[in-house]
Amino acid sequence: MYKYVIRRLLLSVPVLLLSSLIVFGLMRVMPGDALTALMGESGNVSAKDLQKLRMDLGLDRPYYQQYGIWLWQMVSLNPGYSIFTNEPIPVALKKAIPVTLELAMLAIILGLTIAIPVGVLSATRQDTASDYVGRVVAVSGLSIPDFWLGTLVITFSAIWFHWIPPIGYVSLWDQPWKNLQQVLLPAAILGFRLSAATMRMTRSTVLEVLREDYVRTAWAKGLAGKVVVYKHALKNALIPVVTIVGGQLGVLLAGTVVVETIFALPGMGRLTVEAILYRDYPIVQTNVMLIAATLVTLNLVVDLTYAWLDPRIRYS
Amino acid sequence: MGVTALVAATGRGRVSAATPSSYPDWIPASTKPPKRGGVLNRASVWDPPVIDPRHTQSIGLFQFAGLTSSRLIRYAFPEEANSTNDVTLKGDLAESWQSNADHRVWTFKLRQGVKWQNLPPLNGRELVAADVKYCYEQYAKEGVQAFTFQEIEGMETPDKHTLRVHLKTPNTLFPQNVAESVTVIFPREVLEEDGDLKKRLIGTGPYILKEHTRKVRVVLQRNPDYYDKGRPYIDEYVILSTPDFATRKAAFRTGQSDILQVASLSEVEVVRKTNPSAVVQEYKNVLAPFGLALAQDKPPFNDVRVRRAISMAIDRQKQVDTVYEGHGIPGWGVPYFYYQDTAPTLKDLGQWWQYRPEVAKKLLAEAGHAKGFETTLFYYEYFPEMTSQVQIVQQDLKKNLNIDVKITKLDYTTYYGRYVDSKWDGMSWGFQSGHAVGLDERTYMYMHSKSTKNFFRVNDPVIDELTIKLRRTPDRAEQRAITKKIVDRELDQVLRMWMPYDAGFFLYQPHLRNMAALALRRTDGYGSPATTRTWLEK
Repeated sequence: MYKYVIRRLLLSVPVLLLSSLIVFGLMRVMPGDALTALMGESGNVSAKDLQKLRMDLGLDRPYYQQYGIWLWQMVSLNPGYSIFTNEPIPVALKKAIPVTLELAMLAIILGLTIAIPVGVLSATRQDTASDYVGRVVAVSGLSIPDFWLGTLVITFSAIWFHWIPPIGYVSLWDQPWKNLQQVLLPAAILGFRLSAATMRMTRSTVLEVLREDYVRTAWAKGLAGKVVVYKHALKNALIPVVTIVGGQLGVLLAGTVVVETIFALPGMGRLTVEAILYRDYPIVQTNVMLIAATLVTLNLVVDLTYAWLDPRIRYS
Repeated sequence: MGVTALVAATGRGRVSAATPSSYPDWIPASTKPPKRGGVLNRASVWDPPVIDPRHTQSIGLFQFAGLTSSRLIRYAFPEEANSTNDVTLKGDLAESWQSNADHRVWTFKLRQGVKWQNLPPLNGRELVAADVKYCYEQYAKEGVQAFTFQEIEGMETPDKHTLRVHLKTPNTLFPQNVAESVTVIFPREVLEEDGDLKKRLIGTGPYILKEHTRKVRVVLQRNPDYYDKGRPYIDEYVILSTPDFATRKAAFRTGQSDILQVASLSEVEVVRKTNPSAVVQEYKNVLAPFGLALAQDKPPFNDVRVRRAISMAIDRQKQVDTVYEGHGIPGWGVPYFYYQDTAPTLKDLGQWWQYRPEVAKKLLAEAGHAKGFETTLFYYEYFPEMTSQVQIVQQDLKKNLNIDVKITKLDYTTYYGRYVDSKWDGMSWGFQSGHAVGLDERTYMYMHSKSTKNFFRVNDPVIDELTIKLRRTPDRAEQRAITKKIVDRELDQVLRMWMPYDAGFFLYQPHLRNMAALALRRTDGYGSPATTRTWLEK
């Protein structure tokens, strides 16, 4: 298994290198740079001054040099400074990552808490009212965009309950109760979306497994229904579910952009989008690489989970 | 409804073509004695990109920089002003100012006993004339304010509280330029210690910057050593970064935010359903900052007949009626109060600004484009209504002149970079900066052919001559006459093709007093120093 892990890790190097080239290239293809954004609407800067500022920031160097410098910064774990704010990138990330991490983890917990029981219920009560409700909820989760759901939730919370999550993010460690109020609702919105695909997959795979011989044997042995479903059927049904959850993590990270904007949370999504809009190259490049590395790692973790779920699986 | 009828319906002080709203555009100051204390909260769309006033003129910064820091001169606060358009200058750090005979040397007498905020490295030391001199020198050296301060040839400080400014050329309007909200005075010590002003914003203003967490909040705390004793009234002012409008609206509804800006009358009514006691103020525009900019140094737009034809083929009233729900101004560039007392109507803008497609067609044919032509238009969507306006213009030009306009919607950085580069062809949806209210900014800076702010690419010898003449004219009546000539010339030659605009309405929680939504004094934006006079009746 170790060999497998090492091989996968080595394979991730070209993937990350390719990602770095793509993000670097895309940022340069986009017209304008951080200085034009920074000087926004003033018009008081002469072309000469702008050129000097570009030189100071290294934006006038040939692209291959800029790429080389950045690559070295990434390898040496010193991604540099934000062009826009002059803040060291690790400092910006230290503030943003915990927000998104908390949001994503809560979303996964909430999503799975809803998806798996409802999926199992739908499967065990196929074509009953509860199955139809579960399927409608799942299809809604897949089809309702986050921005629309988020806007509805915040608007109707204000109108019906005269309450919305407190604006002005506080960390979990400083004010846990206030933080949970701020994060629960957006996490539920993200979780709802995540739960939809998972719910459908759980239903399908549980239905499939329930028709397997060994499950029929379990029923024939006179085992209790819960034991048959949760002990014998569910674990075997979970492999495709884990694959789906792994695949949904990318969607989840994309969803944080919208949800963080609506609920005014200062996470990675907002940091990245703002950096793209302002052409803050170092921040965008670092964030994209971080997300790429996270997804590569998560895919590996998902693959390794298979063996835990099904001991027959061997890595060689 | 015709333009005249609409104007008649709008009542006193309203701009043309506005649907009558029952909401006032002027909220008089409270007659009760102000109360001290409380916290003012505002969910804000703006987030300061950086807090170095040399490097940005973003409203994100200046929604509070004017509270932490003072200027030499300021505009009258709401309770000092006699009308919405009162542009009287008042002393901030300067108690008085005067120029020599040819308006090249300006002497400012500074207020004595003004202290920097009691934070290291200033520790409450007294502000002196050398501080202002140093600050202006730094502005001239680099950054977005260089153009304004490079006008200064030299400065001297004959004593601790006197600053003498020598300009390169005469300018009677110079005091207005140092009253602009972006000309805040920062301390030498911070710049020298940090190398920039990106980490600390320390000034002599009514509030101390207690916290600035990007994308989260700005917290301002009352400065107990502020020179204007007894002020400000509010203990803490919290600006919450809230990029989404639905969230800002929800924050207002639930009392998390004390101020809300909405775009239309229908939105006002929606919010008032849940918050009937909210105080509403109509935002009275004094200028339209957006319009169609043409590459007028190149064919076909270098032909005045083409510009006039395009202007006459665009139905501005349709934009006002449909996009702005009947509320808004057809558009003009120089604030009208600098040359006349009442807001101009669409009719007042002259023959080339009326919707007359047949005349437009004839003009275009005379210019040799009877069959129309193809062109491009790029824009950045500052607000959703703009996209509708761009599309209406496209339809009007196709229908009336057979001009095919290919529209490109850009993100802000791309748009801005291309627009200010001034090398584009065709058309752009242009702008003027939101902070500027001074006459010099609105004339010389934006229209003189040599100005770096001349984004509309105006290159007209008459305008050049008049804007320079205006700078040399101290008499107010003469200034008005010259300004009128500049505006008339601009409108006649269609040098900047203004489009309808509307900034909408403000809603305030009922416990706010002395708040304002005026171009010069809006509590939430570039006019933020007005918050010094705001108080809470709770």
